[in-house]
Amino acid sequence: MDPTEARLAKLRGSVMPRRHDARTISALAANPGCGRRALMDAAGVDKQKLAAYTGYPAPFGQSQFAIARGNAFEAQVKENGAAQLLSLLREHLSLDVAEAYYTDLGDVGGNEASEVRHVRTRQLLATVDENLGTMFDHPLLRLRVGGRHAYLEPDLIAFQLHGKFSIIEIKSFAVIDDQADPVKVAAAATQSAVYVLALRDLLGSDDKVRDETILVCPENFSNKPVATSIDVRKQLTVIKRQLSRIARIEDLLSSCPEDLTVDLEPDENGIPRRSPGEVEGAIRQIAANYAPECLSTCELCYLCREEAQGSTGALGKQVREELGGIEQVTTVLGLARGAAPSPDREEVAAVLAKAAGLREDLL
Amino acid sequence: MTLLTALARALAAEAGRAQPIRTVRHVHLSGRPLVFIPLQLAGEACAPLAAMAGDDRDKPRMLTVYEPRDRTQRFDFAADLAEVVLGYIDSYTTADPGPEAPYPDAPQVLVPNNGGISFTRLLSRSTRFRRTEGEYAVRQSVPLLGRWLNFYSERSEAPASALLLSMTAVLADHWASGQSATEDANLAALLGWIDPPEGMTGAAAARAAEDPVRCPPAGPATDPTFDNEVLAARIGAIRAAKARGDGAALQRAQLALETVLKTQLEPTWELMWRAVDLLGALPAGGHVEDRWQADRRAFTGHVNWLRQGNPPAPRKDSAVAAASKLARMERDQQRLAVQRAYDDPLVMAEYRLTSDAFAGIVVDAQPDRLDTSGKRAKLRPWITVETSDEVIAGPGTEFASPGRPGQQAHVIGVAPDGERTRVILELQSGMGRSLTPPPGSVPAVGEAVTYTTLTDDFQRGPTFPQIADTPWTHGGPPPQYPGGADEDATEEWS
Amino acid sequence: MTETVEALERRIDRLRVAVREAVLAGDKARAQTLRADLRRAEQDWEAALAAAEAAEGAADAGKPGAADNGGMGGERDGAGHAAATPAQTGPLLPLREQVYEALSLLQVPAAPKLIATVHEAFFATTFPTTRVTSLRRDEERSFRTAPFARPYYICAALAADFLSPSRGLLAVSTWPMERRVIGSLSPRVDFLEAAIRVAEAIERIPAPVPAARRLLWRFAVSIPGAAADPHHIRPAAVRQAAEAEQNVHKDADSRTRREAAKRARQQLTDAEQLFGSKTFEPAGRTAGKAAGGAREATGEEA
Repeated sequence: MDPTEARLAKLRGSVMPRRHDARTISALAANPGCGRRALMDAAGVDKQKLAAYTGYPAPFGQSQFAIARGNAFEAQVKENGAAQLLSLLREHLSLDVAEAYYTDLGDVGGNEASEVRHVRTRQLLATVDENLGTMFDHPLLRLRVGGRHAYLEPDLIAFQLHGKFSIIEIKSFAVIDDQADPVKVAAAATQSAVYVLALRDLLGSDDKVRDETILVCPENFSNKPVATSIDVRKQLTVIKRQLSRIARIEDLLSSCPEDLTVDLEPDENGIPRRSPGEVEGAIRQIAANYAPECLSTCELCYLCREEAQGSTGALGKQVREELGGIEQVTTVLGLARGAAPSPDREEVAAVLAKAAGLREDLL
Repeated sequence: MTLLTALARALAAEAGRAQPIRTVRHVHLSGRPLVFIPLQLAGEACAPLAAMAGDDRDKPRMLTVYEPRDRTQRFDFAADLAEVVLGYIDSYTTADPGPEAPYPDAPQVLVPNNGGISFTRLLSRSTRFRRTEGEYAVRQSVPLLGRWLNFYSERSEAPASALLLSMTAVLADHWASGQSATEDANLAALLGWIDPPEGMTGAAAARAAEDPVRCPPAGPATDPTFDNEVLAARIGAIRAAKARGDGAALQRAQLALETVLKTQLEPTWELMWRAVDLLGALPAGGHVEDRWQADRRAFTGHVNWLRQGNPPAPRKDSAVAAASKLARMERDQQRLAVQRAYDDPLVMAEYRLTSDAFAGIVVDAQPDRLDTSGKRAKLRPWITVETSDEVIAGPGTEFASPGRPGQQAHVIGVAPDGERTRVILELQSGMGRSLTPPPGSVPAVGEAVTYTTLTDDFQRGPTFPQIADTPWTHGGPPPQYPGGADEDATEEWS
Repeated sequence: MTETVEALERRIDRLRVAVREAVLAGDKARAQTLRADLRRAEQDWEAALAAAEAAEGAADAGKPGAADNGGMGGERDGAGHAAATPAQTGPLLPLREQVYEALSLLQVPAAPKLIATVHEAFFATTFPTTRVTSLRRDEERSFRTAPFARPYYICAALAADFLSPSRGLLAVSTWPMERRVIGSLSPRVDFLEAAIRVAEAIERIPAPVPAARRLLWRFAVSIPGAAADPHHIRPAAVRQAAEAEQNVHKDADSRTRREAAKRARQQLTDAEQLFGSKTFEPAGRTAGKAAGGAREATGEEA
């Protein structure tokens, strides 16, 4: 184990590293400036568990109704040799009628182990005659995240006419009159960008995988699938940058104490040996970059929010900008109430004092 | 986000309590609004699960869908909702306003948040094209409800309309909390900041309100732990009873589902009416009534449109309609901004900070000053205003005053005077026809005045071709009856 | 009695809060215990209420229909939905025979969902797909206990590469092996074949039920040139369109299937030929495979 890996292992402690999937990897792209998050993810720390143990349980969860709907739609699009999907692809990518091959990589002769499936996926995708493979279901890809392989399972890969692959992402949110929830579309785009990256890695070639992925969603209020192309070049750039940042994690580590750990190793009663306070103290030694956007993406958000109390950033990026980029609320209010500003803040101090005066006069 | 609002957020964070950012209420508030709180099943495009609705805070009507994935029950829900909503709307159309005149009042709908507005729009989309006969027939009231909901969700896009309001948006427009805008989208948390319970800071109340177990979300999405731990079992019990054909068990299971859904709706119902009270306590801004009159006109127009038997609005706007809507919205937005500044010194203060306005005291006045340079003498009084605001306008710049909206003031000169600035203004209009101004038409010495470059004389919008003349570059004229009701009726439901 | 119900309701409320809090706090073990308590309490509540109603019912025995028509929207739902269920699910035949009927109509390996839909469309009864999944296990057990004792078995389709059971597909043991092996074109060829069979079946019935027409429409939308709209769909047109596309794939698919079937017959035991090879290297690499499979089968018998 190299020293960086040893430090990361120490940070995580005795528990098994958390496995990444496309969702967690896409989440990496959400707040790339956050060192705390980059370190935790590189070390494979279970942030959800950590947040719950320290008393800041993450405000996310998925409704079983949403999960069931997602599964049902995916099954429907794929049933009978992905008949519905094939029709869509024929329409959307002008597939030739002869291109109707469907290969299921969900198991290898009954074996469902990730490693086995990954090997088989690579073998097949790298060697298949471009005229003998169209749709590949349940391929198993992998991507290196902070020194470890994360296995990823896209909904489906299409193999197109001219030897180029496209990622197909099946989502159950509706496209109504050609419009879908932009937040959900963005999330789907990021996720399929992760698959594009992994597939390029697998094939050892960027040219063989398209930048455009295909999003399949139900249309209007029906179950009828509709396909939309999404350009994921931007998302690819962001994810690549963040992955390389995690790969260069030494820089972040160097600013933390040598023996830093957020270990949740349980005692004989299954209760972590270290107190929640101790663990929280350790987390706080890694600098975070909290923004309200974290509330929908990062499991540690409530802890970081608590820590960011009193900062203008916790009120939102725009608030902070309006307040001249000053970091602390107390500093802002001090200047507004006439405290002597430093030379570089004279201008903003004058505006703040004026604004405070106006509020005073008018209320 | 403006500097004053940002500052107010900082002050709220320090005080642990929301701070007012307006001195008046900028939206119309009905004396009898219809509060509508929809809940929907997670994962579906628009599967109503339950709703609480009504115009009497003591008598909410609760609607429940026992099998949200069943399309028949979805439309039964729509029909039940139609009873509430259409009944409410009809109560405003009993009087005959006479030709050309709008109804004396209009129905106002309040939903908890922007999600409520999106839900309204989707429900309208899924109901207004439905047919009332044939294979997938729905009750008569369903498409009519859809058309009204479409009218309301369309109006909610108009910046100056108050027909359909999102409560969190209205509250956040009048108070600054000590949290972010993202967190303000939670009605309970925002109200916690504005009006915390006795002995609790707003910050603490907001945190408590974020616990989805103790304080259910205001919809339309329900909390996932509620779905997984409570709702799923209740829906399961209904399905099981139905499969057994056990009528008594089915009724019990339905009652149990209603009970758990009520726990998710009731707290929000209370919050909505508390918010109505809080807003009602603010005096209305000067232009609020004018804007409401435009809403009343729009409402009256829609009643007539329906009575004339016109087809439902298309699923998508035609190119001409979309372009003219956008232009109209931009103009309305601009005019609204001016009106709000005129109505509210705290809004005007934003313009004073950016030197688009100044306020001060009249220190000198020549109300009878005449301009004799032309053929005929004209009344052109001069006044001098002393202000502590920064004035960067040069001679000739035109200003207007909220106190005398019809009167123009041109800058004659600007002179610093110690910490303050003196501005000499020449006044024109709003003083009658004679050469002596009527009393009060010219600001007197000692009067506090505000002058701004913002004016209400908005520009006329661009003209757009008639819909029938849509250029081919924009798809040509749309079909007579856009929307394709047939195609919609056969849409398969999940 | 009422008090018990109320006390139960309070306990249920408390448990609901507690279980959700445990979930949020990430305490899975506690959540599981509480969840079990909650389900029990809910059942008790149900039972207590039923008992109370029964007691009341005995008291007002004079009022007929009191139980199935109460307030609060019960009538709407009671009426609308009770009708949908009992009449149609009555199992007239054992499940395996119903599956056999549907598969015999289709003549190609199919997934439980399609089998159930076909049965509903042409034989008027349907069944939950979950039961079909366990059917194959039962059939395999029966075959291994007494091989070829039954005239047919509901068996697996085999993946052409490894001759392992193809996930989620069922077939009939009396079909030729060529039909039961699945290459990468076979799902499409079989889908088209199923469409042809369904179209032919509809052509034979004078007045097909709506479920049958819906099924045909679902095939038609995924076949180029089969039909334009659900109200004007002709079985003959669907059949012709399916045959036209099938002709494009047929040769390539048949080659793969013949080759795989040959391997299967040479290398697999009888049981494996029906239920698939459970070994995981590509079948046929080593000669010992078949023997290994046989040993496995004997092991299970013992």
